[in-house]
Amino acid sequence: MSDDDLTKVWPTGLTLPEAEEIHRHIIDGTRIFALVSLAAHLMAYMFTPWLK
Amino acid sequence: MSGMRQKAVLFLLQAGPRFLPFADAATPDLPLGRLLRLSLFQVSVGMALVLLVGTLNRVMIVELGVSAALVGVMISLPLIFAPFRALIGFRSDTHSSALGWRRVPFIWRGTMIQFGGLAMMPFSLLVLAGGGDSADAPAWIGQLGAGLAFLLVGAGLHMTQTVGLALATDLAPVESQPKVVGLMYVMLLAGMVFSALLFGWLLADFSPLRLVQVIQGAAVATIALNVVALWKQEPRTPLYGAAAAAASAKKQHSFAEAWGHFASGDRAIRRLIATGFGTMAFSMSDVLLEPYGGQILHMAVGTTTALTATLAIGGLFGFGLASRVLGRGADPFRMASYGALVGIPAYLALIASAPFDAPVLFGLGTAAVGFGAGLFGHGTLTATMNLAPKNQTGLALGAWGAVQASAAGLAVATGGIVYEAVAWFAAARGLDAATGYNVVFAIEIALLVAALLAMLPLLRRMPALAQVNPPTGAAVS
Repeated sequence: MSDDDLTKVWPTGLTLPEAEEIHRHIIDGTRIFALVSLAAHLMAYMFTPWLK
Repeated sequence: MSGMRQKAVLFLLQAGPRFLPFADAATPDLPLGRLLRLSLFQVSVGMALVLLVGTLNRVMIVELGVSAALVGVMISLPLIFAPFRALIGFRSDTHSSALGWRRVPFIWRGTMIQFGGLAMMPFSLLVLAGGGDSADAPAWIGQLGAGLAFLLVGAGLHMTQTVGLALATDLAPVESQPKVVGLMYVMLLAGMVFSALLFGWLLADFSPLRLVQVIQGAAVATIALNVVALWKQEPRTPLYGAAAAAASAKKQHSFAEAWGHFASGDRAIRRLIATGFGTMAFSMSDVLLEPYGGQILHMAVGTTTALTATLAIGGLFGFGLASRVLGRGADPFRMASYGALVGIPAYLALIASAPFDAPVLFGLGTAAVGFGAGLFGHGTLTATMNLAPKNQTGLALGAWGAVQASAAGLAVATGGIVYEAVAWFAAARGLDAATGYNVVFAIEIALLVAALLAMLPLLRRMPALAQVNPPTGAAVS
């Protein structure tokens, strides 16, 4: 295990490729949610313009 | 400073396994608690299915006044993704990941997509119905929004279920796969029944705000259930990534090639055809049972609702019996063919209940249909898991799911169309009002016979296989 430790980076204990993979998921997720929330807000506004 | 970093990394490495979503190791036996937790993804799938096919179907037509044709189109949109389940399964088989995960990224993505669809769905439905100020807006915005929401939820649930079943197959040793299949089916059914009751109760006092709360609550529940289901289930094996990379270097990797390999092995296509026929047979009259009870046998509304419960209880008994018998090493296709054999007299009983005016016979027939469907579904899924090639589990389960979901959707649509057409024709000719239903039931019997014929060659081979099966299991892959 201790040989492996050198490849793990601070502060997560993940290796660089592992960290990049998780980061890619986070970016993808953020993009999807940005689009979904944009569409949802647009339609919520059309239904009742900010609850007026 | 660097010493502190070293310490922090060491601490995380030691404490990590307790707090990180990785399984400690691939345990030879899957404990029941962990299995129950894994099966929670089926609850979220069942919830989404009920919401799409049951609750929103009614809410859109009755409460929101959307035209039935538009609702029909919206509800059938998720079906577009059913054939892609094989592709999703294949992609998860060959996923190369530094983290050493094949299934988790796909279940996570499926969960996210389902969440996204549910999050925007209530607003798109309200705009689709032209409520509030949205009446001034062009109609296509609501249609586009609702279509997108239904597509997202459908894509998400197909992805989650396909890869979730593949993960269950990875984790469960061959001898406990019948138990896993039984549990997966029961949890799907439980999720559907529980959320149907819950949604019905919550939406009884309907308002647009309540609709938003309920559907977005379902979105949050999806994430919660699936995260709990996934936590520490899949062990990290970076070898998957390496093996996948090596395979792609050898160009063994296109979907067509993988499919060709899968299709050439062990009568895979015949198994899929049998699954398709049987599933069509057992789902064609799903939405016709209640109207049949009401219109032909003059049952009260409460009694016809109990029919759906009867069907579900019959199904539970089927799953239970199949789990027990298959757990002792019986042949899953023999079980599936027993299911079809139970289905034939069951549909005959449904047809016979009208001339004899016997609601009891109809109830018994409905329970038997559920029981037969339970045996058939359990048998085909267990066989798919048992016979899945070791490195093509996702593809095998994806293909099964694609056939199963497409056949069910197609059958429900065809059943409705055939019933409408025959009923119209029968009314014009002054024939009995039950004719439309009877034609559908008769088609189902014919499909069951077709499924039995397709399964016959699979049965003859099985005894030899069953002898090899229990000790090694690798022999079947």
